[in-house]
Amino acid sequence: MSTELKSRVSAAQSALSEREFDSTTLLLAACFVPMFVFFLVVWVIPIIYALGMSLFSAPVRNPEFVGLGNYTALLGSAEFWGFLWNSIVYAVATTGLSLVIGLGLALVINQKIRGGDALRTLMIFPYLLPTLVVIFMWKFILDPNIGILNQFLVDAGFIDSPIAFFSTLEFAMPAVVITSVWKFASFAFFILLARLQAIDPDLYERARVEGATTWQAFRDITFPHLRGAILIILLVRGIWMFNKFDIIYLSTRGGPLQQTTTLPIRVYQIAFSEVNFGMATALAGIMFFLLALVAVVYFRAFAPEQEVA
Amino acid sequence: MATSKSRTNGLVSHDTQKRLQRIAVYLTALLISVFTIIPVYVMVVIAIQSPATTFAGGRVNLLPTEPSLRNFVVLLGSTDTVRYFVNSLIVTLGSTILSTAIAVAAGYGLTRFDFTGKSLAARAVLFSYMFSPIVLAIPLYVVFSTLGLLNSHFALTLALTAISAPFCIWLMWQYFQTVPIALEESAWVRGASRWRTVKDVVLPVARPGYISSAIFAFAVAWNDFTMARVVMSRDEMYTITVGASLFLDRVSIGWGETMAVSLLIALPPFLIALFLQRYLLQGFSVGGLE
Repeated sequence: MSTELKSRVSAAQSALSEREFDSTTLLLAACFVPMFVFFLVVWVIPIIYALGMSLFSAPVRNPEFVGLGNYTALLGSAEFWGFLWNSIVYAVATTGLSLVIGLGLALVINQKIRGGDALRTLMIFPYLLPTLVVIFMWKFILDPNIGILNQFLVDAGFIDSPIAFFSTLEFAMPAVVITSVWKFASFAFFILLARLQAIDPDLYERARVEGATTWQAFRDITFPHLRGAILIILLVRGIWMFNKFDIIYLSTRGGPLQQTTTLPIRVYQIAFSEVNFGMATALAGIMFFLLALVAVVYFRAFAPEQEVA
Repeated sequence: MATSKSRTNGLVSHDTQKRLQRIAVYLTALLISVFTIIPVYVMVVIAIQSPATTFAGGRVNLLPTEPSLRNFVVLLGSTDTVRYFVNSLIVTLGSTILSTAIAVAAGYGLTRFDFTGKSLAARAVLFSYMFSPIVLAIPLYVVFSTLGLLNSHFALTLALTAISAPFCIWLMWQYFQTVPIALEESAWVRGASRWRTVKDVVLPVARPGYISSAIFAFAVAWNDFTMARVVMSRDEMYTITVGASLFLDRVSIGWGETMAVSLLIALPPFLIALFLQRYLLQGFSVGGLE
């Protein structure tokens, strides 16, 4: 809040009568109590409870205190590092591809081409379609028996027999990545388009007059304006994709042979298939820690909290 | 085609370069629209055509030659789709209202009252916005299970609100900064109480803010699979996404019904995109959605 605003608020507040004081206090409570109670109930208490639980071993009844045993067991297993690697591959591939496609499309639409508005509207659909619907569509398109992609590839002579994309070792991860990019490229697109439209057209006019090539104009004008947005996409989208559960669970359940098992999938499996809540919450704790680490980088890079007063 | 104005630039003239660029631009646009449209088209055609027509002759027929409502009739007649839909509506509306109410109050408070630790609060809100639903779902499951709240609309509403509220708060916090405090001051000067002012001055001005916040909360809850999967384990409590996700494992349900239910699930977000797009874009400009 600016100092001017601050002094006006306090002046206005002191102008209020005694009677008004009570109602101001009430208003203050009405503003903050719901938020605090809410955060306490659905965030703080469950997380503390879970962190506590991560120090105990299964079974559900009479769990035994094992200290950091669950954590050391996880970090000491080759399995964990494999799943971490899967998460990283998935996050990097989906975020990278989304960024490239989103950037390409944002640059295209920013050219004010015919039908650009329609394209922009079109881009919002994949983003809004519920994940389940997206999975149904792609499961059908990539289906080995009736899928239209296989039908096309076989007809065109690219392959001899249909491929079961979601359940073949080498194709499972690419299939999950393509499905995810289809849904999330628009995230990068909209953020980048907003930045592009904020660039002063005079800059390009001046560059053109001075004889700059399209590439030079992109390098010296467009890219510097987009740098912050690109960093946000890489960090925020990267975090979200690293933690994505529903797309992978719905498409492959983490298979085949744990080829697409990422940490979020593993947390779910440990909790609900193996019913080992101590271990599951310990893994969630590790993810929490990783998340916090990236968040620190994010806050250092952007100081987004300065945006609000 | 070189004009007198054109400059040569390496191998090709400036005009040719411009034209090639134009072609590349339209080609990219075309490619991406095809990539975006095909899956949606496939879904719609399969949903409105009977499987007998779609899969006639062992090949997929994707020209809607004989539209039929058969898939919807089977879907609504032989599955619990309606019940799942009602469950989804209850928790989605519940969490939309709860999330927006908390966000409006918090957003107003955070811009109009001062306190130490405000930037810490901002960080906490943003951190929880970035949080992973599955990482939060496990602790929530444990707590709800301890309290005997699993399989209740109430618990799922709270869980969904946990996911949407942080961003809604952030949105309203930013939005209220654009509402000049002078508006309120002039109402106070004329003797209106702070409460009256909030009701008659602040809330009407904040409308675009809380509409976009409500759209976001609605989209999050409607789309949710993770929280519902974890919190609801009894069949009759499933939301539409969880209920429909099980269709693929049921022999009696084929692609026709699956695409029909997809179309129904996609309807509310589709309407939002159609009519409320500008509010949604406002959300993107503040820092994206999940």
